[in-house]
Amino acid sequence: MTKPLARNLTRSIVAVATAIALAGCASFTSSESATPDDGDRISLAMMQPPRSGLSPLSDDAFKLSRWATAETLVVLDELGEAQPALATEWARVDDLTWRFTIRPDVTFHDGTGLDAPQVAAALTAATLATPKPRILDGVELTATADGDDAVLVSTLSEDPLIPQRLSSPQLAILAASAYSADGTVSPLGTGTGPFVLTAVDGTSTASLDRYDDYWGEPAAASGIDVAFVPDGTARAAALRTGTADIVESVPVGQAAQIDADLIHEVPMPRTNTLYLNTETGPFADPAVRAAAREAIERATLVELVYEGRADAASGLLGPAVQWAAAERDSAGHRSALDTRAPAAAIDGVTITLGTFTDRAELPEVAVLIEQQLEAVGFVVEQDVREYQYIEADALDGAFDAFVLSRATVLDSGDPVAYLYSDFACAGSFNISQFCDPAVDAALGAAAALPAGAERRAAIMQVESLILARDAAIPMLHERVIQGEAASVTGALRDPRERTLVDVETRVAD
Amino acid sequence: MARTGSLAIVAASRGVAIAGIVLLVGMLPWLSGRSPEYSILRARYAELEATPEALAAVRRELGLDRGPLAVFGEWVAGVVRGDFGTSWINGRPVLPGVLEALGVSLSLMGFAIGVALVIAAALCIPALRAGMQGRRSRGSGMAGAAFTALPEFLLASTLLIVCSVWLRWFPPYGWTGPEYAVLPALALGIPAGGLIGRLLSDAIAATFAEPWVATWTMAGFPRRRTAGAVLRRALPSVLGQIGLVLIGLTGGAVAAEQIFAIPGLGRATLGAANSQDIPALQAGVLALLAVAVVVGGLVGILRGVLLGPALRLGSLPVPDARVPPRRRDLIVPAASALLLALVIVAGVFRDPFASSHGRLEAPSWALPFGADASGRDLLGRVGHGALATLGVALLVVLVCVVVGILVGLFPRLSIGPLEVTNAAPPILAGILVTALWGPSIQGAAIAVAAVSWAPLAAHAGALVQEAKAQPHIAILPVLGVGRARTLFRYVLPPVIGPVFRHSMLRLPGVALTLAALGFLGLGTDQPTPEWGLILSEGSGYAERAPWTVAAPAVALILAAVLAVSLAAHDWASLRVRRSTADAGTGGESPARGNESLTADTESAAFSR
Repeated sequence: MTKPLARNLTRSIVAVATAIALAGCASFTSSESATPDDGDRISLAMMQPPRSGLSPLSDDAFKLSRWATAETLVVLDELGEAQPALATEWARVDDLTWRFTIRPDVTFHDGTGLDAPQVAAALTAATLATPKPRILDGVELTATADGDDAVLVSTLSEDPLIPQRLSSPQLAILAASAYSADGTVSPLGTGTGPFVLTAVDGTSTASLDRYDDYWGEPAAASGIDVAFVPDGTARAAALRTGTADIVESVPVGQAAQIDADLIHEVPMPRTNTLYLNTETGPFADPAVRAAAREAIERATLVELVYEGRADAASGLLGPAVQWAAAERDSAGHRSALDTRAPAAAIDGVTITLGTFTDRAELPEVAVLIEQQLEAVGFVVEQDVREYQYIEADALDGAFDAFVLSRATVLDSGDPVAYLYSDFACAGSFNISQFCDPAVDAALGAAAALPAGAERRAAIMQVESLILARDAAIPMLHERVIQGEAASVTGALRDPRERTLVDVETRVAD
Repeated sequence: MARTGSLAIVAASRGVAIAGIVLLVGMLPWLSGRSPEYSILRARYAELEATPEALAAVRRELGLDRGPLAVFGEWVAGVVRGDFGTSWINGRPVLPGVLEALGVSLSLMGFAIGVALVIAAALCIPALRAGMQGRRSRGSGMAGAAFTALPEFLLASTLLIVCSVWLRWFPPYGWTGPEYAVLPALALGIPAGGLIGRLLSDAIAATFAEPWVATWTMAGFPRRRTAGAVLRRALPSVLGQIGLVLIGLTGGAVAAEQIFAIPGLGRATLGAANSQDIPALQAGVLALLAVAVVVGGLVGILRGVLLGPALRLGSLPVPDARVPPRRRDLIVPAASALLLALVIVAGVFRDPFASSHGRLEAPSWALPFGADASGRDLLGRVGHGALATLGVALLVVLVCVVVGILVGLFPRLSIGPLEVTNAAPPILAGILVTALWGPSIQGAAIAVAAVSWAPLAAHAGALVQEAKAQPHIAILPVLGVGRARTLFRYVLPPVIGPVFRHSMLRLPGVALTLAALGFLGLGTDQPTPEWGLILSEGSGYAERAPWTVAAPAVALILAAVLAVSLAAHDWASLRVRRSTADAGTGGESPARGNESLTADTESAAFSR
């Protein structure tokens, strides 16, 4: 008697449950990405979902260039020098003006042709955007068409880096239909790259198809299916299960469980730096700064916090800036470092150490630094907050020491902007409150040089002067772990995070 | 006359509550202690310097320079027209995205409810069977309690690794077909189903003990009919709680959506709060509230249908689900209390901050719980975390007791705020509080307190009503005793005790909610050892170093088992057999009808 009742009850509940579940099926996001292993499409798991609706006038621009859908006038090579892209050649007309020749026979994904007036209009849209794109911070730039096949780009003050600046993904050239009257910019079907962005589903997926009329070699893959997966465990699982072919930013903690052949460490142009307050407090004394420098054990930080997946720093610029290490061997660099102050003996000097929680590893680094500094006699008080609540205090010099993971080459591929804002007397991000006429002079000299070997040498000269004063202690350079399925060939491992998939990337069957 | 008066008070109270929510949501841009223009600048360019000019440009672009009144007026007018404004982040209309996300969330909820129903039914079958054989089942729901004590986010991570990576049964993330819904539905449905099943099986057991069942049996009614009647009798008493569990699903869904990358409403709203996209946040909050109101309404209708005229008459006695304890029933609570105390005592004397051990060092005699990713002693962190977690939870609960009793004194006036608060899952409150003041432990505590006083207020309201109806109190005005003296001397004392006991049962639930907020980044900051934070730090290493999550998870489970096992029995009867139970006696509870306060009390241990 009890059994039939139980069975009936179970049956009816299962029926209701199924009905509810079936009613829900309507909501699944449609088809295209439903068959990720279909043919030779690349399935890509990215970490950050778009934050600004994939507008190129935001950090989402980097996604557009990683998918090879939006292109810029020039691109950077490994040394950070400009190479032709949508512009075939360029020349300096006068001190303030450059002339870029536009590549002929290029079409936008919407069928319209690339011409000089549209290039000028796209660049002008970027200069008028609020807020101004980061690459144009402090630069007054105007772009005008010079006939149908050339664009004149001029600046208010002399800028030897104009070609490098135009390589920024934020200055991608899109078709006229991308720019709407209210200032929003849509990259859907308006780029020039080998892949057409065909659909974006909010912050969850995007899909791209091969563009058959691409001006260069057509893409090997027939398309890209992108999923935005914020959870690190899920991204790692995607690689392990073969759900995704390429996975962006596998968390360090997950890397140990993944087949070592599938993961690739890419050095990042980020330097985890301990900024010391050179103006007030104990660290105003160079000998005390030297003691702090000698107390930091970089290898321990790399081993404990990053599981060895980082590079101990020997300077402000890490291995992602590929030429930096060679320059550091020069006699000038070494003799500058020889002028460093000898370390003082420390006994009970109290310092405040600030950092923020937005990057999870920074508080862990701070914990270790506290232990290392206290081992040589400092007394450390930590102050850890969310970044937006600590930025102003840090810039005002409220802390004796501050841990920050700093991007060294932001958009132009050139470190001068970083060195200036962090270490020039008038620098806007001068946490060390550092001011030295020799450094300012060296910075000015480097900034005036055109890109090339001479400029690189001058930049390293600046670095050596800053290190000689112990204004900041570079600790380590981060790496990002890129996951690639065994079947993937030709994926790009770009320290600047500008490229990922290109025409040669393919997935074998 | 009096009846219309009280109806008007109730209506006014509801109106004010809804207006209050609209005002709160509408004024978000100005209430926010974080500057929205700063967050939006950061959302666009990570390392652009925030100059006053850049901020002013953003403010102008958003129209914030027109002042609060104009913007609020426009927003309300737009909402009335069905226009929720355009996103501050991408400049597109907000509504279509929210509706789409809502559809996804509703179907995820549907799948989760399906799972929950199956599990609940399975849990009820023993009680039903025992009842029909004339035995009283002694709910052995400790395993169920342990299961319901697991936070959804931990269950989700575990399912992801086991079912997707090891077994390869289901895809790890996405939302493109029914197979994608299985894991998130399990992660949400298992705790919810466990809770509903426990509530229902207790109610069934209690109903079988009522005298009429014996009468029916003696009269020779078929057992199946009796069983059907028992179900019908038992269901309404826990329906209110089931409604709350279903509403709670929207909160748990945020974590599941985050882990399985499901484009649902919770994830969208959380993202909007983090990037200060206020129009999207406003629409998301209203949509989540609407879901809660609809679920609550449906449950109310179902209850009305099941109860029929008995609801209006208010004459239904409430079954007491608590089983008189035997000595051996002490074993479970005593053992869990002892273990918990042991962990705390052993832990507080260890250093929770120093990374003096190897990274992810395995447990050993010297290091019983192992070390976390920074080489910190997990026993020390869990022990200290008990103070941070249970301590804050205790504070929250005490605040709730005070607020609950104060509000309970005015049952009719408070019905609107009470309903609104009941409809808001703590995660939603957490999102709102974070949008206002940024993430912090205080914010999380305020958020949980803001929505947790409602059940206590309902309980207090019922007890106050009951106390006032007692003849010895009703006579007091005639004897010339003042109102204040009546209140403090005669009405409050019998109310405080039961409400306080009820509140203690909510402690683990509150701790769990704080933990869930911590996991979503809405709670404690590093490096505070708080259980939720320890769990979320460890969840990335769950596969490689299971001890990183085992230690805090076991602590949470112990706390939950302790509370549930204490709630399941009427301990007073072990000492003195008293004729009336504290909280279980019925009477009309104007705030929530005559819903079972016992079931309410008991479920407190899990509710989130």
